[in-house]
Amino acid sequence: MDGDPPPAPGPSAEGTNVEGESPQIEPTIETEEATITDDAELERTLGLSGGLAIGIGTMIGAGIFVFPGLAAGNAGPAASVSFAIGAVVALLVALPASELATAMPKSGGGYYFISRGLGTLAGTVVGLSLWFGLVFATAFYLVGFGYYAVDTLAELGIAVGAELVVPIALLFGVGFTVLNVTGTENAAKLQNGVVALLLSILLVFLGYGGLDAVGLLGEPTAPERFAPAGIFPVFTTAALVFTSYLGFAQVATVAGEMRDPGRNLPLAMVGSVVIVGVLYVVTIFVATSAFGSEQLEQFGETAMVEVGRHYLGPIGAFAIVFGGLLATMSSANASVLSTSRAIYAVSRDALLPRRASRINLRYGTPHVALGLAGGPILVLTWTGRVELLAEVASFLHLIMYGLICVALIALRRDEPEWYDPDFRVPGYPVVPALGALCSVALIGFMQRASLYVGVGIMLLTVGWYLYYARDVDLRGAL
Amino acid sequence: MTRILVPLAILEGESVSAGLTELLAPMDVTVLGYHVLPEQTPPDQARLQYEDRATDALEDLATEFGAEDGTADYRLVFTHDRKQTFDRVAETTDSAVYAIPGATGPIERLLVALTGDVAVERIVSFVAELIGDREIGVTLFLATDEETAGRELLETSARVLSGDGIAVRTELAIDEPPLEALVAAAVDHDAVVMGERAPSLRTLVFGEEAERVAAESVGPVLVVRRRDEDADRPSSTEER
Repeated sequence: MDGDPPPAPGPSAEGTNVEGESPQIEPTIETEEATITDDAELERTLGLSGGLAIGIGTMIGAGIFVFPGLAAGNAGPAASVSFAIGAVVALLVALPASELATAMPKSGGGYYFISRGLGTLAGTVVGLSLWFGLVFATAFYLVGFGYYAVDTLAELGIAVGAELVVPIALLFGVGFTVLNVTGTENAAKLQNGVVALLLSILLVFLGYGGLDAVGLLGEPTAPERFAPAGIFPVFTTAALVFTSYLGFAQVATVAGEMRDPGRNLPLAMVGSVVIVGVLYVVTIFVATSAFGSEQLEQFGETAMVEVGRHYLGPIGAFAIVFGGLLATMSSANASVLSTSRAIYAVSRDALLPRRASRINLRYGTPHVALGLAGGPILVLTWTGRVELLAEVASFLHLIMYGLICVALIALRRDEPEWYDPDFRVPGYPVVPALGALCSVALIGFMQRASLYVGVGIMLLTVGWYLYYARDVDLRGAL
Repeated sequence: MTRILVPLAILEGESVSAGLTELLAPMDVTVLGYHVLPEQTPPDQARLQYEDRATDALEDLATEFGAEDGTADYRLVFTHDRKQTFDRVAETTDSAVYAIPGATGPIERLLVALTGDVAVERIVSFVAELIGDREIGVTLFLATDEETAGRELLETSARVLSGDGIAVRTELAIDEPPLEALVAAAVDHDAVVMGERAPSLRTLVFGEEAERVAAESVGPVLVVRRRDEDADRPSSTEER
């Protein structure tokens, strides 16, 4: 294809893709408040609260508002252990990812670290998988949103069947994409507010429910066996619900826009995992104390609404429905933002056509990248398969997480001159090694179908690498 | 010499009028070309696409302000947050004043507002430096509730300027809404000089006072920035 003439390659990037484009890499100076290139400066505008809002905002929707019913159905009250396992794995990866992010505070997050640490093949696989992983995750959030929308209508006295879940999800999927292309308002502050509101709702609800559940208020509930189905489902459930921990990697995709990245990135990534991890474990405890796990399973995706009703009556149910709408929306929105950054990062490095990162001057938005996110999201939303979507999203992220840990070890073993992280992972090399192992192990507990889809996508990305970008060399190209 | 920051939304075609260029020509000027991006867009992505175009425009502008004599330079910033960028660049270039460009012809008379909790002495000495020995008249304006103290302040400041050979008038607005009074007074002036005030609830709701004056009066507004020592509490941008 006839593209623009290839610009001069940066100092350390070599090779061109099939279209003759080479990675656009320029030397930069990173300060706490801006990235300074030869001719321009890029303002860092996200603070710690903004980073936490992206991390928590992405994660909380899934873990609290969609999974409790499904997870309790699989593992019983021990589902809280599944969430705890997920939190530990996420932390084991969040720490190495934080180190890499402070060493390379750039757009693209995990993709960037891996392509620089392990080379172009791993980079392409992860970069494109991150795109698809985010697409699967967003579709999952949208379907979750659909369930809450139907429940909201039910609370308002308009009974519609579950068959409206997918149409509503699709409608909002289209809406989100259009809003993201045309919306020039800064939604970041709104996102902060939404997350703060959500956390307050949850704290009140979990505080009350928690006191009730341990028997301090109201009447004690009937005890149930902790792990009715045994130990194995605890792990398969951990693999399923791991989707509720993907958000910290989204923080890394906006690393290039974080103020004082040496401090804020680790705090936002590790902090958001810890906060949501605690909330998840408590939520499951409260939910399984209110109802037996079989009943929770029957309530399905919106089981938390019934839990809210159980503890606080109609007000509780309303608060949870409202919270669920907000949370799934903020998850979807935050993911769309990360997706466009993920696509930009690979297209800048010539792993996708440069056209993919074009932005239009009218709205200043990357319409091509947003379309590349929105289109597949709609197709996947249309399937309406909550568990499959969640697991494939987790699969693709876990591959990246494993490779992040490997990249850290590879970089640390032979530290290049440019490698100077502000934050160094404690317990090296045990933590990254464990992180890599756990990520792979968690994949082993997934359903067959999710594994096939995940592996299929990875093979496609390898094929794309061989066809399109075999000659691009990114290792150490800063 | 005092450095003046001139922020321009360069890719939206914002430019400076001939009158403002002429007014600022003797001073040190930094033209800040900025482009605000919605949060969907990484600033780096916009840079790749627009850097060349923006740099061309900025080079021309800096030349008008006297880049060849070494009194003007330019910066180009891609940002999500305009205010944060202004503050940071003003800080790093050590600019004591920033300009909101507006439409005006040759500047013959400046309106200098001393209303409120602003650094009067710095404003007055900046005006004296800006005008130098040019034929530009000044109206000192103050809106206040305390007539005696206000008149005294105006007279002291007027004496400083007349001492430098500048033609000074004074205008005192008693018990009037300060902003409306200022905008009304701006009518027969070509540009406004005012001080930056501490951020308050009012600025949060209605926006920066200087920008409202600029919007209402159409002409350029020069804003003398606050310094930390001007007030008890720091004015720097905190965590948002």
